[in-house]
Amino acid sequence: MTDAKKIESALLDESYYMCKHKSGLEVYVYPKAMTSSYAIFATKYGSVDSRFKLEGEQDFTEVPDGIAHFLEHKLFETEEGEDTFQRYARTGASANAYTSFNLTAYLFSCTDNFYDSLEILLDFVTKPYFSDENVKKEQGIIAQEIKMYDDNPGTNLFYGLMNSLYEKNKIRTNIAGTVESISKITPEILYKCYNTFYNPSNMILSVCGNVDVERTMELVDKYIKVSESKRIIRDYPVEGPGVFCPRFEKTFSVAKPLFEIGIKDVSISPDPRERAKKSLAVDILNDMLFGKSGKLFNDLYGEGLISRGLGASYEHNLSFSFNAISSESSDPEAVFGRFCEYCEDIKKNGFSKEDFERIKRVIYADIVKSFDSTEDIATNIVWQRLNDCDIFDSVDIIPTIDYEYTKNVFDNLFVPSSYALSIIRNPEE
Amino acid sequence: MKPIKFKIADGITLNVISTRKFKTAQLAINFLVPLRKETAAKNTLLSAVLLRGTAKNPTIADISRKLQSLYAASVAQTNYKRGEVQVFGLYSNFIDSKYSLDGCDILGGTLDMMAEMLFDPYLVNGVFCEEYVEGEKSNLIDKIHSRINNKNSYALSRCHEEMCRDEAFGLDILGSVETVSEITAESLYEHHKQTLETARIDVFYVGAEAPETILAKVKNMFSGLSGRATESLVTEVKRSAGPIREVVDYDTVEQTKLSIGFRTGTVLSDGDYYKFSVFSEVYGSGTTSKLFMNVREKLSLCYYCQAIPEAHKGIMVVASGIEAEKYDAAREEILHQLDEVKNGNITDDEFNGAIESLYGDYMRIYDSPDMLEAWYIGRSLAGRDESPEDAAKMVKTVTREDVSEIAKKLTLDTIYTLRPSEEDK
Repeated sequence: MTDAKKIESALLDESYYMCKHKSGLEVYVYPKAMTSSYAIFATKYGSVDSRFKLEGEQDFTEVPDGIAHFLEHKLFETEEGEDTFQRYARTGASANAYTSFNLTAYLFSCTDNFYDSLEILLDFVTKPYFSDENVKKEQGIIAQEIKMYDDNPGTNLFYGLMNSLYEKNKIRTNIAGTVESISKITPEILYKCYNTFYNPSNMILSVCGNVDVERTMELVDKYIKVSESKRIIRDYPVEGPGVFCPRFEKTFSVAKPLFEIGIKDVSISPDPRERAKKSLAVDILNDMLFGKSGKLFNDLYGEGLISRGLGASYEHNLSFSFNAISSESSDPEAVFGRFCEYCEDIKKNGFSKEDFERIKRVIYADIVKSFDSTEDIATNIVWQRLNDCDIFDSVDIIPTIDYEYTKNVFDNLFVPSSYALSIIRNPEE
Repeated sequence: MKPIKFKIADGITLNVISTRKFKTAQLAINFLVPLRKETAAKNTLLSAVLLRGTAKNPTIADISRKLQSLYAASVAQTNYKRGEVQVFGLYSNFIDSKYSLDGCDILGGTLDMMAEMLFDPYLVNGVFCEEYVEGEKSNLIDKIHSRINNKNSYALSRCHEEMCRDEAFGLDILGSVETVSEITAESLYEHHKQTLETARIDVFYVGAEAPETILAKVKNMFSGLSGRATESLVTEVKRSAGPIREVVDYDTVEQTKLSIGFRTGTVLSDGDYYKFSVFSEVYGSGTTSKLFMNVREKLSLCYYCQAIPEAHKGIMVVASGIEAEKYDAAREEILHQLDEVKNGNITDDEFNGAIESLYGDYMRIYDSPDMLEAWYIGRSLAGRDESPEDAAKMVKTVTREDVSEIAKKLTLDTIYTLRPSEEDK
């Protein structure tokens, strides 16, 4: 029998099982009556992890930008030469993978043959095969991927903001790297990264749908070898609270200037629950202050200064934390000025308690909505685990967030010296 | 999970899929009208203006506060084309009242808000508020100009536009700057009244409530409307292309976008449509297709290269992003792979992979209320009513010979290229 712990939420009427495999791999099995099942196998490794060593090693290893993403592409190739997508095609699964700043994930969705597909997933991710020839081939494909991102104004806007907020953090660089940096990648460096970060003790498997603990764990036993697990020491550059450069501007063929306001946050608690709580408090603030019921949006929209909603999102984890607010405007500088005034006013006068309680309800409802898809559930489990949290934590934490706590978070986060503004505008302007 | 259909009045239908599978429910009110130059922009603008204010909740802030108190219920604009039919209206999504923490009637409250928007909008001097109309016009014009921001979708829609420059399908549902500029608060309000009186209305609900409950609420909601004789919704289909056209645009881009447009010779209303589905999968959709395996994986010519069909119009565009120097090689390979399919050179893996992948795609529709609604609206426009499961079974009966036969119906229509501007080189 597998030693599985059942975790339940009465409020959400949901439950799942958690198993810690002897290899150190965390496995989450979430039975859910849907047509499709979903699996995601992830490593806590992304583009920002470019300087690292294993416990006991003398020196840090520094690797070229874009290597985590490159590795993700390359794992799909096997020594036997059979493409992984071809294998999935026989089980009918729809497979994919992605690399983010601090996570690499391999996933599939299927309506039949779940365990056959799960075998493929566990098999190919645990069997790297890198050669000079296949590395060279991938450089061509990824160069085109990078150029596609280069042509995307939104991508340029975002990285412009990251380059304004941060001086050294690797979040400044596109996850895929640059055409130049990926040309330095060799099979040896790929193996080095693989052996460091693809240790089961640094990984998470999450499955949701028509799934069962016993059968999932049987396959985990079959494919996941118990190996020595050493602590990974990641060297993240330390950043001060102020921004590196308060403005970024680039020209691009866009109809109307795009802008993104960033707020750098270096106050990151080592306690995962506190991070989760702060993150939810900022979600409430973002919705309340910049959403469609908020004064700033309504004033700017009414005056025609913005032509669509203000998108606001907060990222908060151990390797970086920032809040970002974006939209389109004929006059981004004016919008930025109004944003600063608005925030100063709130700092002085606070916000409405009624609005605050109503938005807490919104955040609760958004969480309820996220339990309607096997993909969302399996994915959210992994992202919550990356922050050492549980998928049911949020609904329990929301009632503990009060007005004072949230006002305090606001006062500490919305500090003008940590604001930056990124703008993309048409060269003809 | 087939929808139960109720006739509310002539031209007004309610479709209900009653299921306990989801924690959320959705209700969409769709107006279905022919896609026309004179009305496309008005239709688009109309739902945007309806979302701005109602008599009881005159501002976005008022509406938004009301919806937030309904546990983040959302009401948004629907606007898309299926062939030469424009589908527009309002779409809501809300959590099941079971998860309300204070016994709030989420469904009732959301339907009331949609009814207010449609039947009791915010008016000034008997027409839409001019400030709202002018504001949304300017946003819409921005949106039209902003099409160029996303180079991938821009290259696709430009190819559609060029292929169908003399057909309604070539129209952008957003309209043009000229047609938007001409609209006034009066003319838009007139258009609103006319739409309510004459358009085909398909209401679609997916959620936990019993069909009778929804029927009673929707009947009540539409009690002010009478039956109507709706216009026929047909899409003009050209089964084969005329002389091949080449169109080149220039922009400040790094990557060249190549969009190759075909007339497919097959449309969704054809009895053997699923043969085409399998063809399109074998040739260019997904990670086992010929385009992915050869143009990307084998020749390393691009990051993306895929076939994007439009089933109602009978066209398909192969879209890719490539290095300028590799333009000829990519173009040649894309066309060569099509010949391979026509000649029956399809491997077991390619064929079976396509069938399995389509099967999964169809079955997955049952996990998404949005996709279920889109599925049945699409089928009904093509005069069909099979379920995704029926379709999944049908693709399993398609043979390799069927695929190469249906591929032979394809004719090359337009080659559209978005190239980096010379001065930027």
